[in-house]
Amino acid sequence: MNDFMQQALAAASRSAPPWLEPLQARGREAWSNTSMPTRKTEAWKYTSLQALQKTFSAAPTQAAGSPLGDVPLPKLSGPTLVFTDGHYRADLSTTELPAGLRLVRFADATRDQAERIAAALGSAILPGRHVFAPLNDATLTDGVFMDVAANTRIETPVHIAWLTTGQNESISVTQRLLVSLGENSGATLVESFANTATGGTAFTNGLTELLIGRGAQLNHYRLHLEQGDVVHIGGVHARQEADSTLNGFHLALGSALKRIDLVVNHQGAGAHCSLDGLYLPRGTETVDYHTCIEHAVPHCTSRERFRGIIADEASAVFNGRIHIHPQAQKTRAELSNKNLLTSNKAEINTKPELEIYADDVQCAHGATVAQLDPLTLHYLRTRGVPRDEAEVMLSYGFINELVEAVEQAELQAFLKPLLARRFARDSRLTRHIL
Amino acid sequence: MLKIDNLHASVENKAILKGLDLAVGAGEVHAIMGPNGSGKSTLGHVLAGRPGYTVTAGSAQLLGQDLLTLDTEERAHLGLFLAYQYPVEIPGVSNMEFLKASVDAVREHRNEPALDSVSFMKQAREACKAVNLDQAFLKRGVNEGFSGGEKKRNELMQMMLLAPKLCIMDETDSGLDIDALQVVADGINAMRSPDRSFILVTHYQRLLNFIKPDRVHVLSGGRIVKSGDHSLALELEERGYAWLEDVA
Amino acid sequence: MSQEHIEHAIRKEYAAGFTTDIESDTLPPGLNEDTIRFISGRKNEPEWLLEWRLQAYRDWLQMAEPAWAHVNYPPVKFNEISYFSSPKAMKDRPQSLDEVDPQLIETYNKLGIPLHEQAALAGVAVDAVFDSVSVTTTFREKLWEAGVIFCSISEAVHDYPELIKKYLGSVVPRKDNFYAALNSAVFSDGSFVYIPKGVRCPMELSTYFRINEANTGQFERTLIVADEGSHVSYLEGCTAPMRDENQLHAAVVELVALDGAEIKYSTVQNWYPGDAEGKGGIYNFVTKRGVAHRDSKISWTQVETGSAITWKYPSCILRGDNSVGEFYSVALTNNAQQADTGTKMIHLGKNTRSTIISKGISAGKSSNAYRGLVRMSPRAEGARNYTQCDSLLIGDRCAAHTFPYIESRNPSAVIEHEATTSKVSDDQLYLCQQRGLDAEKAVSMIVNGFCKEVFRELPMEFAMEAGKLLEVSLEGSVG
Repeated sequence: MNDFMQQALAAASRSAPPWLEPLQARGREAWSNTSMPTRKTEAWKYTSLQALQKTFSAAPTQAAGSPLGDVPLPKLSGPTLVFTDGHYRADLSTTELPAGLRLVRFADATRDQAERIAAALGSAILPGRHVFAPLNDATLTDGVFMDVAANTRIETPVHIAWLTTGQNESISVTQRLLVSLGENSGATLVESFANTATGGTAFTNGLTELLIGRGAQLNHYRLHLEQGDVVHIGGVHARQEADSTLNGFHLALGSALKRIDLVVNHQGAGAHCSLDGLYLPRGTETVDYHTCIEHAVPHCTSRERFRGIIADEASAVFNGRIHIHPQAQKTRAELSNKNLLTSNKAEINTKPELEIYADDVQCAHGATVAQLDPLTLHYLRTRGVPRDEAEVMLSYGFINELVEAVEQAELQAFLKPLLARRFARDSRLTRHIL
Repeated sequence: MLKIDNLHASVENKAILKGLDLAVGAGEVHAIMGPNGSGKSTLGHVLAGRPGYTVTAGSAQLLGQDLLTLDTEERAHLGLFLAYQYPVEIPGVSNMEFLKASVDAVREHRNEPALDSVSFMKQAREACKAVNLDQAFLKRGVNEGFSGGEKKRNELMQMMLLAPKLCIMDETDSGLDIDALQVVADGINAMRSPDRSFILVTHYQRLLNFIKPDRVHVLSGGRIVKSGDHSLALELEERGYAWLEDVA
Repeated sequence: MSQEHIEHAIRKEYAAGFTTDIESDTLPPGLNEDTIRFISGRKNEPEWLLEWRLQAYRDWLQMAEPAWAHVNYPPVKFNEISYFSSPKAMKDRPQSLDEVDPQLIETYNKLGIPLHEQAALAGVAVDAVFDSVSVTTTFREKLWEAGVIFCSISEAVHDYPELIKKYLGSVVPRKDNFYAALNSAVFSDGSFVYIPKGVRCPMELSTYFRINEANTGQFERTLIVADEGSHVSYLEGCTAPMRDENQLHAAVVELVALDGAEIKYSTVQNWYPGDAEGKGGIYNFVTKRGVAHRDSKISWTQVETGSAITWKYPSCILRGDNSVGEFYSVALTNNAQQADTGTKMIHLGKNTRSTIISKGISAGKSSNAYRGLVRMSPRAEGARNYTQCDSLLIGDRCAAHTFPYIESRNPSAVIEHEATTSKVSDDQLYLCQQRGLDAEKAVSMIVNGFCKEVFRELPMEFAMEAGKLLEVSLEGSVG
């Protein structure tokens, strides 16, 4: 194990509920047998983990009582759980729950709940498919179990905010969410990752598992709003039963490094998933999305749309794999990845992959890389729109389709100005978008 | 209104306009005709300042101001409008957003107060009606998935809202059936006024049956080789363009 | 294309699978520095080339066989391969065709490659490489008049040492990859082409490769230099006898297109694919690459139907401004064949353009992967790439994969990549059958249609051959 690997383990000094100890032990064992990926590891070819060479210490043992200040978080009308530096913040959370929904913190779990959680944790993650999962297991002290009863449609969104405050120099934080949707249930989940403006360096390991029952539908929004020196290595692993639907929306605005793996495993016929994603790194930020749809059974569909705008000296990686297993006949899968480079020093590496072992399938993918089209820009200018405003309009227009597709209205209202202002702080330039 | 002297322009180092002279007075309608490849469309793009179109000599003035030193949007602010032969599709930017941005920019330049959303919507709806476009088009991406005829009418709608001084219609009649042509011609005729001029760039004289031009020019080899009144257009229709090469 | 050749091509088994009983001079299996000294000595090579080979060998020893390709095969036992085999009568090169072993000539006739000039395909000059040795080159005089050099690389080493010294390894460096290093150490022969400034090569140039001897590997090396403003079209065909054991083919092809030159390189690769169970067949591990200087163009067209394993990525380094790279590929795998093939387009110069059209057809229980790289360097102002990758699956036991790597570091560069996967639809089959075609014929027709964009790029003689090859290779794929 290298320094980072040992430190990361040591950082897990806080006490966990006793029922988590076997999981932690298995995690420690697996982590010590893990070799850190290098640029020669295919899945890490374009992303260096050099940023982890810093010293990360344990997160503070006590929750900070400070207010959050200006952390840009969506204000949603449903229950909200807030964690700062890995600690639950009752003072910032609202926990009024509609019938059929339970939100259980691992630290608070009853014996029965603990048994269910322990049995389900890790079950959505295909073996060996998430390098940092063992570390998450090993350092897990608290997390959230979201449980939706069968045949229940939860209308209000559930919001879970994972924050780091930067009150210590550089900390290591483990975040874990387990979601279970019973048969024919429905829910909307928003996960926000952010840090307070005071900055600080943090390594966050956020792992989310989605178990979506037969006929159930989950709308999952995962917003990465961190800034500054935060390194996030995380992932979402979903297991979908027959006729279930997963609608995922992913946003990464930047910070030093984000590597997010999205793996969807179709276990029952008739499952559908759609994944939309936006990444907008700037400065010297790096964003790396690796997606994989495992079509393991027949009659499933998937659609992915990822758009990236890469500015300044930032870089982005998109790797979208569609894997059709031999028995997965009648699969329909499509993937589109479009990228804009807005600076001479920006970089994009994209790899849409198809791996197909069944013949009666329809699969297509496409990828483009370009800058704003000079002739389109000219067209706007011939109508009198100033160049700077035209650029902002076209940049926003490039991602607009995905923003418009966000069904949760409060969230869309939060995202629009946030994203438009990403392209220009001057409201004169965004006034026609907003 | 517009005065062009000895204009030379090239595209990808190939000379297209080779000494073009043209003067258009206020309120006049001029038709520019010519065979394919004569530089008809180039003229409009050069005046609008399209990237890749380089002016190598000559001058062009609009309302006494030197056009060629202005940025594209400044030319638009001054009152130049080019209706594209092939309007650009802009997915993700709604027609409405686009029109409002244009109208606001042009009004700002004229020191007119910005339109509030209600008045703008009213004007936009009226313009839609005038060009026979469903209002649903306002919400769609600019020209995205529009048919050829719808794109042309969308151009006309923009022109109505921007109220320019000089309108250059680049083959606006191409690809239109007779009904659509009538709509477009009615729109243009309705906009004619003593302080607004038109240049109709066209290959066929069909359009000129609907919009009567004050002058007709024939462009060939990058220059205007013959000018006349409407009868010239009729003559071209009858005799084609070949005989003009002898004239030139 | 001779009638005889057509008849051969449509025969339902691997038609090129005969062996030729020729007394040959074969080095015993094994690889060490002495092997290399032997090869170099037999060819009377200058000292610098021996050193070059030895250095490559030493580099090779330090290198690992690449494992990233989507293919599976037992490890190659490099010490059980013979690295040199020469038809005995060739020891002293024949002065004219009359001196060539008649059985050898018969072999080439069976392959449809008549060496006799009067019988040659009109306007095609042929260099034939049999096992390790270039047998004869036709039309030499006519080419000579035009100033074109077309000879075996062994001859070129003696006759044009400056050109060889300057360009050998200049595109594919000695230790570029595992197989290229091996080739650099033991390459036996191959073709050399030089087109002088401003010359348009008066005829198509062609090389046919054949592995005949058992337990031999073939390591040919081709070098084509097109000087400023010149133009050449080069065709390459390959066959091997049916044998139960696997044979290794690790070739290197280097193309240099100087300012304003154009090289069109076409391949019809029909190495023995092994039998239906996957026994035998050629391991085709080939490095092909071209460097395109200012305003030049390199175009690769390949029709790959043979080999048990294919590992091959004909690439273009678009170094000069305005240079153009093209890759048109049909790769068909049937039975137990595995292919991992594609291209690399490395855009270095301004306004460089590349086009990739790849058609993969998988049948039987084969596996067919497209692997490509499009890279826009920071300097590649205004560069463009368009890629279209289509896969066609025939039957439900085969696999088709697409692994495109797209890297851009220049905002003004435009890249478009599209890929689709489809199968031969029941409707298409039904329509054809309803019109009286049997299923096999119908599939073959549909496949030909699927590949049309690529066949269009082939010289005419090859286009016909390619169509027939697909038909033969698809034999048994429709249940």
